Amino acid sequence: METRLFTILILVVAFAAVVIATQVIRRRRDAFPLRLIRAYESLIPQVAAAIEANRPVHLSAGSAGLGGENTLLALVNAELFYRVAQQAAIGATSPIITTSDTTAIPLAYDTLRRAYESRGLLSSYRSSGVRWYPAGPRSLAYAAALTASLGVNNVYANVLVGSFGPELALIAEAAARRDQVLIAASDQLPGQAVAYAVSDQPLIGEEMFAAGAYLGDEASFRAALVAQDLLRWLLIIGLVVAAVAAVSPDFAQLLGNLLGTLAGGR
Amino acid sequence: MQRLLAVLATAIAIGFGLFSLFGLALDSPLITDTTNLFLQLVTITVAVTILIGIYNLLTVHLGRVRGRRSGWFYSLILVVSALTVIVLTVLERAGVLTGEPAITVILLEQVQVAVESAFAGLLLFSLVYGAYRTLRKRVSGWGLLFVVALLVILAGALPLAQFDLFAAARDWLMAVPVSAGARGILLGIALATVVTGVRVLIGQDRSYRE
Repeated sequence: METRLFTILILVVAFAAVVIATQVIRRRRDAFPLRLIRAYESLIPQVAAAIEANRPVHLSAGSAGLGGENTLLALVNAELFYRVAQQAAIGATSPIITTSDTTAIPLAYDTLRRAYESRGLLSSYRSSGVRWYPAGPRSLAYAAALTASLGVNNVYANVLVGSFGPELALIAEAAARRDQVLIAASDQLPGQAVAYAVSDQPLIGEEMFAAGAYLGDEASFRAALVAQDLLRWLLIIGLVVAAVAAVSPDFAQLLGNLLGTLAGGR
Repeated sequence: MQRLLAVLATAIAIGFGLFSLFGLALDSPLITDTTNLFLQLVTITVAVTILIGIYNLLTVHLGRVRGRRSGWFYSLILVVSALTVIVLTVLERAGVLTGEPAITVILLEQVQVAVESAFAGLLLFSLVYGAYRTLRKRVSGWGLLFVVALLVILAGALPLAQFDLFAAARDWLMAVPVSAGARGILLGIALATVVTGVRVLIGQDRSYRE
């Protein structure tokens, strides 16, 4: 029951923070300035360079898909891919979105179509820009397919942000051999470690979820970052209080009395 | 019309999301049964997307073969292989092919697993090359720290008595900084996931808003 209460409390705090921060940012655009994330800073110039070179940008979310534990990651990736595809849509070569999860295919089709539609270039949209490569038991088949695909399609830049394991190293090595730009991040720790080592500009952890705020101009995306920061600070305070209580019996006693009073009052 | 559909999609997403959330928070059997039904619908939808995947695979690669675009021969092999495995699976399920072990199992073990094992072997070299590139590209304090930690961990893994100090250092690295860093990254992702979930629940997500 306590866990359930705690879950609801977190959701309520996140909900309140998102709603309030959205309203504040709509009134004052500079209320919560963003810190620099080099991967996002360099992304749009890289897309522009790809258009100049008449080569495609490759976007992949790996095994992130809908209906599973990384559903929300897939939605966030769709926003990142939408922003990149929107920039790349004016070029002669369509961006390529690959996935190893079949549930992400409709999302990828929709993302690419909406990106072209937002530019008024729906007639240039080609569904063949979305490609499914089956993952196999360890995603190595997917990595193998991509190592070939990067060369065959003469890709300029790769944005591999999603759910990847250590097989990311194979794709990165294939990209490096062809002098292709690589921006990578993963929600899996082995994949994230590899992404940090091999990326030209790495993203780490929750930075994957910040694409909308950095590449777009909507208040709601910035508000999401504010809510994340608020939750992070609450978590830090909770961890510090718990750590102090663990080493100081007096503080633990005081905290226990305080919580007891609050529980009694309720 | 498009605007109306977007509003409808948003309403459905918010409605189903909030209902599932209430199922998590409340102990009502009615809500729990209904949310279980929703989850079954999701499972069926996921199964349907496999057909979309096969359609995507065939259209993309047949288009490449027809247009004789770069790499069309690989696409041809892929299409032929996919169709062969589909036909063999259907024949096995229909009882036409009854060999033991099944031919699809042989194909999986002798082709798929063998190729993936070879790739797994290559992974080590790709990782070492990645570490080398880290230093070549970014000679920063953090890059150096990354490579030093990597070398200590590799040295500590050697089964030699002279490397006992490295083994102790490796154990400490894994137990304290690596564990703390990993938890930090996972907590960050978890918090971001919660906030993204809230955005979806209040209809701020673009995927069904447009």
